[in-house]
Amino acid sequence: MTRRDWLAGSAAAVVATGCARPVPLAQPETTIMRAPAYDQRLYDIVRRVVASHCVAVRGRSVVIKPNLVEFEPASAINTHPLLVHAACEAFRAMGASQVTIAEGPGNRRDTLDLAEAAGYFQTIPGFENCFVDLNVDEVTLVDLPQRFSKLKRVYLPNTVLGAALVVSMPKMKTHHWTGATLSMKNLFGVVPGGVYGWPKNVLHWAGIHESVADLHSVFPRQFTLVDGIVGMEGNGPIQGVPKPMGVLVAGTDPVAVDATCCRLMRIDPMRIGYLRLAAGEPAAFAESNVRQTGEPIAALAQPFALIPQFRSLRLESGA
Amino acid sequence: MPIPRLLQQQNPDGGWPYRRGGSWTEPTVYAVLALAGAGDSAAVERGFQWIRRAQRDDGGWQVRPGVAESCWVTSLAALLPAERLGAERHRRATAWLSATTGMESTVLYRIRQWLLGSQTPPEMTAPGWPWVLGSAAFVSPTSLAILALDRENQLHPSPGLASRIDAGRRFLINRMCKGGGWNHGSTRALGYETGAYPETTGMALAALRGCQGRATDQSLAVALRFLGQCRSADALNWLRLGLAAHGRMPAGYTPPSGIAYRTVPEVATSVLADGSAAGKSAFWI
Repeated sequence: MTRRDWLAGSAAAVVATGCARPVPLAQPETTIMRAPAYDQRLYDIVRRVVASHCVAVRGRSVVIKPNLVEFEPASAINTHPLLVHAACEAFRAMGASQVTIAEGPGNRRDTLDLAEAAGYFQTIPGFENCFVDLNVDEVTLVDLPQRFSKLKRVYLPNTVLGAALVVSMPKMKTHHWTGATLSMKNLFGVVPGGVYGWPKNVLHWAGIHESVADLHSVFPRQFTLVDGIVGMEGNGPIQGVPKPMGVLVAGTDPVAVDATCCRLMRIDPMRIGYLRLAAGEPAAFAESNVRQTGEPIAALAQPFALIPQFRSLRLESGA
Repeated sequence: MPIPRLLQQQNPDGGWPYRRGGSWTEPTVYAVLALAGAGDSAAVERGFQWIRRAQRDDGGWQVRPGVAESCWVTSLAALLPAERLGAERHRRATAWLSATTGMESTVLYRIRQWLLGSQTPPEMTAPGWPWVLGSAAFVSPTSLAILALDRENQLHPSPGLASRIDAGRRFLINRMCKGGGWNHGSTRALGYETGAYPETTGMALAALRGCQGRATDQSLAVALRFLGQCRSADALNWLRLGLAAHGRMPAGYTPPSGIAYRTVPEVATSVLADGSAAGKSAFWI
């Protein structure tokens, strides 16, 4: 089965189940929205961007997957809880039958304490009742639809596998192994630490870029909303420096969204290994092949500082 | 009221969940250790039955039924008294642990590295234990394996066990963060220093019980600083265990009010930390 056949099959299955916006086969659309701060305006911005992508969730379950990494609320490490709450409210308002927040941090085991330190309990009413620690969720062994790494199958949490829509909500950050961490790399957090450990080192041995592409192939039904209000540059994803960008980036095609984010960060998406693997064809996420709505990239792009090992990723002017 | 809470959370199959849902090996072993120390018998025996059923043919334990691979939780099962677990089960668990290392210390990996011209520095080759087979060794699984093997070695001394414990401790010392303490096991990433975590610092200190030296002293100071700052139940429990292992728990210490003990391992290890402070530890003789 070719990638195109598989995507076509996935798309047909998704449409058959009533989700209006499966992984696009034609020109993917990404939206860049200005979002100057973590304040009440986010609720309206998020509602509008979700609505603009016609994500059909009425009567369906939604799992929101933020990026929760470390116990430092003042840093730009974690997806901001106010943005996560805004997304919860947007999907509830659109008629989702259930909205669950779920995450499985990679290094720290005390997930709920981490969420508390990151401000999730304080910001999201009833957080504990709508949150699932994916590291210790019930699991199912899943055959990888596409195999880029040596892994053939992987245990994944039932909460995520059972969702009608997975919403990846990463932080816009540089990453000291992959160059950039965005919606696709965010899926490492669905791999259960309870099965694979902290960190999920099996994925590293299998190849980080390859494992990201593997996971992407399991979750074609995604909506992505990237927290680029304050991102992280330099030695991300933990020890970098906050980078105020004032943007949200959204779309239903994670490859296209991540490529757009890279361009905003002035990183060449063609040089990010997992993007190349997942797209199959580099032209698939060329800027000319992504329908860009909202703000233009050029108006908001700012170069993210890169550690020396990744300076070759810098997007050349006009590239 | 940790003991009634543990009793309440036991699943009908005899095991315990992390919070809710199916039984896992880690919370079950911790709950059994905590309840056994408190003198309960019926719930403990049902817990032991669950644990015995979960042992795999290779002598190791899986994280939970259905995940068919022996892994780090074997260390936890090996912490249980052999007379309750079953002498033969315990012997096979110890053998499984003794034969397990991280990928980076396997002969095959070292040959590969040699062929690639990127040899691991000698001080980083001491074998630790991985979370799962086929991956690198890390601080938490190494610490737990040392605790299990050291307990066994104290009861039944063996040169083989002593040698493996010593190597595991060298693994920990070599992966101490600059300034003391431990994180998951990566002290530097692409040339950048990384910081210590409280929970892994406590766990590694527990595994280094009886070891003296600059590394231990520095890390004890870090642990004491963490003890006064952190608000995580898991971290506080392991800090208390690590400090108690070196007789360095501040006299009269009580955890701050408002700490949330949300998971079965957090509740159970708080009981075990209380026991260690009182001189009765499930982790060492």
